[in-house]
Amino acid sequence: MQAFVFFWLAGLFFLLGALVAFFSKDRLQRRIGLVLGGLGFVSLLATPWTISFSPSSAFGHLLGSVIGPTVLLAVGFYQIAFSGNVPVGRLTKQDRLIGVLMVMMGVLWFEAMHWWHLTPTYPDDVNRYWLIFWPTMLLFGFACATGAHSLVGLVGQERHREQRLMILIALFTAALMLMGVFINGPAVSSEMFTVELLLAAADLFGVMVGAAVAIVLFSLVLVVYEKQQLPPKRLDPPTTEQLAAASHTIAQHLAGGEE
Amino acid sequence: MMDQTASGQGFVRGFLWFTVPATVLILALLSLTDASLKGALVRFVNAMLTSFTLVSFVLLTTLFAYGDTRKRPLAPLFGMVLMVGFGALITYFFLAQGDLLMENNGSIRAQALSNIIRFGTTVLGMAVALVVVGGTLLGSLLNSPPKHILFEEE
Repeated sequence: MQAFVFFWLAGLFFLLGALVAFFSKDRLQRRIGLVLGGLGFVSLLATPWTISFSPSSAFGHLLGSVIGPTVLLAVGFYQIAFSGNVPVGRLTKQDRLIGVLMVMMGVLWFEAMHWWHLTPTYPDDVNRYWLIFWPTMLLFGFACATGAHSLVGLVGQERHREQRLMILIALFTAALMLMGVFINGPAVSSEMFTVELLLAAADLFGVMVGAAVAIVLFSLVLVVYEKQQLPPKRLDPPTTEQLAAASHTIAQHLAGGEE
Repeated sequence: MMDQTASGQGFVRGFLWFTVPATVLILALLSLTDASLKGALVRFVNAMLTSFTLVSFVLLTTLFAYGDTRKRPLAPLFGMVLMVGFGALITYFFLAQGDLLMENNGSIRAQALSNIIRFGTTVLGMAVALVVVGGTLLGSLLNSPPKHILFEEE
């Protein structure tokens, strides 16, 4: 019962709260969604204390472990982006420098979680969800970087710098994966990482295929519904009186009549 | 028509660039190490079924926003409820087939809940990767010098 309330119900609150906050047009509903989502998120974060007996609490522990570097990365990139050529609300150059430092710290923090003694451990072993999270992030980052490299070349012109950056990220993530496969970390062995990387690939492909099928079927449901709708009622053709009134008004405007 | 063909080709090219290098990398790692694909198929099917059911549920909730622009139709809502139910039923059906999709979990319920948490972890990993790639791209684009269009008259 405790696990249901503090984990599953909290997870549902978080998901529904986020959806309501994102999609609702009503301000009050958006606020309620934000509060609900926030409460759910906090409850998920607190699961290592509230339901420490449940294996699900390892997910809450993972959330708590990655929230620090993730916030550093997100805020850092925000600072960098909005200190550039934006028309309003431009941040200062100092903000940009702080952003760069935050991104570097975020990346180093994540690296230290695999290559140093900061690996999330819960309760006594390496958190099993960390073993899923880290290879998934590297592999998906690699795929996104190569995909974005192609898209940037397709959509923009003279975007060589962005393309080079995407290649850099792809090389960086590929190098991290190769290092993980061949070099033992302090807590995660190379064999363990290799197995988890392959399983992460299976997870990623499965998630993408499942999501794609759901989206295609969702579109079909909407298309079928829209096609079944009756066409809007056509207006009757204008009567002789209406045509005469229209031609009178037009003539007045063309000739500069009474009005 | 030409634009549609070009955008279709661009989409295919982007999709290939997204999937092929990652697949090649995984295959290369497989050939370089002794790792086996044991358990990968089970993980793939579990992830696919869970993703289908949960994404359908999320899309179902978006229908409430869609309903605001229509006269709150029930038909699409019913269709999506059917899809979510279908996803849940088919997941249960396959999990109930002995060891077919079961991993190290004692019951169907435990396996289904484990699948959901793993789906959440995968989505979290994807989201952080998107922050890194999207943030780098946005940071670079917004820090590029503004481009001026020179007209012939100028």
